[in-house]
Amino acid sequence: MNQFNSGPSVNTYNKLSHWFDFSNPGILKVYSGKIDIGQHISSTLALITSKITEIKYDQIEIIKLSTDISPNEGITASSLSVANSGSAIKAASIALKIIFLNYALEKLKIKNEDILFENGVIKDKNSNKTISYWDFSKTDEFREVIIPEIFDENSLKKINYENNQKIELKTINEIITGKYKYVHDINFPKMLHSRIVRPPSYHCKLIKVNEDFKKRLVENEIELFVKGSFVAILSLDEFLVIKFLEIAKNNIFWEEIQQLSNNNVFSSLEKHEKESLLVKSGGEAFYEEIPEKKSFDDPKIESLSTIFKKSYLMHGPIGPSASCAIYNDKEFTVFSHSQSIFALKHSISKYFDIDSNLVTLKFMPGSGCYGHNGADDVAFEASVIAKGYPERYILLKWTREDEHSWEPYGSASLNKVFGAINDDGEIVYWSNEAYSDTYLSRPSDIELNNFISFKFLTNNFVKTKSKPKTSAHMGIHRNLDPIYNFKENRLVKNLVHDLPLRTSALRTLGAFANITASESFLNDLASIKNIDPFDIRINHLDDERALAVLKSLKKEMDFFKPKEDSFRGIAFSRYKNSAAYCAVGVELNVTDDLEIKLNHAWISVDAGEIAYEDGIKAQVEGGFIQAASWTLYEEVIFDSKEIISKDWHSYKIIGFDNIPVFTTSIIDQKGCAYLGVGEVVAGPTGAAISNALCNALGQRIKTLPFTKDNITKELLN
Amino acid sequence: MSKVECELNINGLSKKINIHNDKPLIYVIRDDFGLTGTKLGCGLEQCGSCAVIIDGEKKLSCNLLAIECEKKEIITVEGLQIESELNHVQEAFRKFNAAQCGYCTSGIIISVTALFDKNQNPSSQEVQNALDGHLCRCGSHSVVLRAIDSLIEN
Ligand code: FES
Ligand code: FES
Repeated sequence: MNQFNSGPSVNTYNKLSHWFDFSNPGILKVYSGKIDIGQHISSTLALITSKITEIKYDQIEIIKLSTDISPNEGITASSLSVANSGSAIKAASIALKIIFLNYALEKLKIKNEDILFENGVIKDKNSNKTISYWDFSKTDEFREVIIPEIFDENSLKKINYENNQKIELKTINEIITGKYKYVHDINFPKMLHSRIVRPPSYHCKLIKVNEDFKKRLVENEIELFVKGSFVAILSLDEFLVIKFLEIAKNNIFWEEIQQLSNNNVFSSLEKHEKESLLVKSGGEAFYEEIPEKKSFDDPKIESLSTIFKKSYLMHGPIGPSASCAIYNDKEFTVFSHSQSIFALKHSISKYFDIDSNLVTLKFMPGSGCYGHNGADDVAFEASVIAKGYPERYILLKWTREDEHSWEPYGSASLNKVFGAINDDGEIVYWSNEAYSDTYLSRPSDIELNNFISFKFLTNNFVKTKSKPKTSAHMGIHRNLDPIYNFKENRLVKNLVHDLPLRTSALRTLGAFANITASESFLNDLASIKNIDPFDIRINHLDDERALAVLKSLKKEMDFFKPKEDSFRGIAFSRYKNSAAYCAVGVELNVTDDLEIKLNHAWISVDAGEIAYEDGIKAQVEGGFIQAASWTLYEEVIFDSKEIISKDWHSYKIIGFDNIPVFTTSIIDQKGCAYLGVGEVVAGPTGAAISNALCNALGQRIKTLPFTKDNITKELLN
Repeated sequence: MSKVECELNINGLSKKINIHNDKPLIYVIRDDFGLTGTKLGCGLEQCGSCAVIIDGEKKLSCNLLAIECEKKEIITVEGLQIESELNHVQEAFRKFNAAQCGYCTSGIIISVTALFDKNQNPSSQEVQNALDGHLCRCGSHSVVLRAIDSLIEN
């Protein structure tokens, strides 16, 4: 343990009071700018605090994010919750503990060996006098502490701690007894329940609302809210709203300004106007001339090229998005489960052209979200409606159909990969061109158009072109830069315009497609020279931690004898080439009916110091299951009129019947930085399944998902 | 739109309510009884998050008419505790921290409870059948299965 970096949040929030509230005796309340979306961040942060401060885990409460009291730590995304908030809270805890110890020893006039330190209280063994963190929090010393940006070895030596892991989730008791409150469960007196009446597709102008229908609404005390082409209905009775939502569909008329395109999206990805950027080592993208792809005529070098395809995927939370908002005395209070709580605050104030201090966003749990789903849209829509009904709480819920059809999807994509390998098994050339729509259209105060309803409110359906992001591993080019020591790389990011569906951030952004493609292709190159999949990776890596993860995977897989008629595949990546390391192994069977059955999954991960072991396990096994679902089953279907994948029958996801046995190994790097794990497993999962399937069929299947249809088409080709 | 009177017994509490005759049970549970542990996921009998136990059988409450549940014993996740102690399925889920966002969890606990109420030692096929139709998007499946396995081993 040489030094500890407090991370970016401490640059802005460097006082103990930014993170800790000791105002209730015996309880430590901890602030965080991250939200608990099921990744167990509250339990993890409480555990980190408890380990360092030696205050009992049960005495620690994590305060739900609210923009009026919490630090702004940006979006809860990109596997940065523990890396940012965890590091900041760890730093605050270290600073607190060091200064508190000094203070207590001085006040009690005793030495370190004379103290008992328990539950946040220091006791002089001889005199029984005590001083607690709670006493200390009232002093000027506490108020004056500045949390250092870096702790050196000497400071760290003073805060020995056990990396204890055995805790009960903060949320579990309420979840299993049905008492955990989600936004959906909010209930205020006189609250109005609301639903949005949606047109058939993205570009539709409201023509008229049937007059008889309006009368029926009035008779049933249902409010009709219309602004531009945005239509919602509201009632005190939630079920009445649902009933009338169905009736509304036949009584509200729209003009379709532009149809969806039902051209093959993969040919659109190739043919449409695009912006092409060169991605260089380190993962940044540049507006530079793209070099021609090389060709090889040296007989000692063999080359190969492949095109991998991935369809549109949806976030598909089990509970549709919801939000509750009130407009009272010129101020908005909005309850939301968005990952972008602070950006939402600023977007809402921008839309209403008011000071951002007049908008407070309060986090309330929703169903797991996995990126930019409908949560932001519904919160924006709830505030728009709330403005129309001052002093009334508005609880707006999306329907299942809304969530399936209107969320911003993860983009369809293409990867054109080309590589060359020499007789020594060295990869001498690697080219990967990624084609995709944007993964980054989260709402912000400069991009209100990213709210789906903004178009309808303003009746402006002109499509704005997204701009390519250039920073390292951002969006389409996440993990496009291979982590391996290939001799020469040619990496191209293509942001393709005018694609049919609305897209934004889905867990891992471009990394899932890029890693699935490149880790599959790496195996194909290796097999030309009969090189073992572990060896080809190990031979092109020199990062010790990467090698350790691969070796751990091999050892775990070798421990189990393969089942009859089963096939295995492996893959590896380091998320963003800077976060956690992860190697995945899969064993599967393919039935006569070309159904893929997952038997066993091995995951080896190094996420730095283990903040909370069960949390990491849940994230990587959960991430595997979600990515396996993308790989095996998922694709958004649509035609020129509408999204066809409106429910769970038309958009199949994995069920309990295809969950493998897991062997998950987590390598602890105590003292090293926390590396987030929320997204680390997805890419290697797609590739490990792809590689196992390739072994089973003797042929690479290049189109996701691996449904019977897609497999058959490729086998017949 | 006229309403009818209906008497329902949920978690041992009987209550007379005036409801639309096409009101699905889930809205009565959540709105009229204020029990929000039962979750609406799809309203289409496709996800399992609205599961409750009716006369000992697991049922999906999102499309089931409330008026058809008169004179039946309805148990929701809030009613599983026995004298405020967790039932053995909840206890296993607690021990294994078997949830992520938790939105799907109450429906799953209901189905597993209904299974174990009938059969203390179900086969893995019977467990699979009980979980058929329960969707979880966070991927809590592996830890849920470990929690269930612990019940069988015990
Ligand atoms: S809400 Fe009833 S099955 Fe989905
Ligand atoms: S735990 Fe989130 S949907 Fe199952």
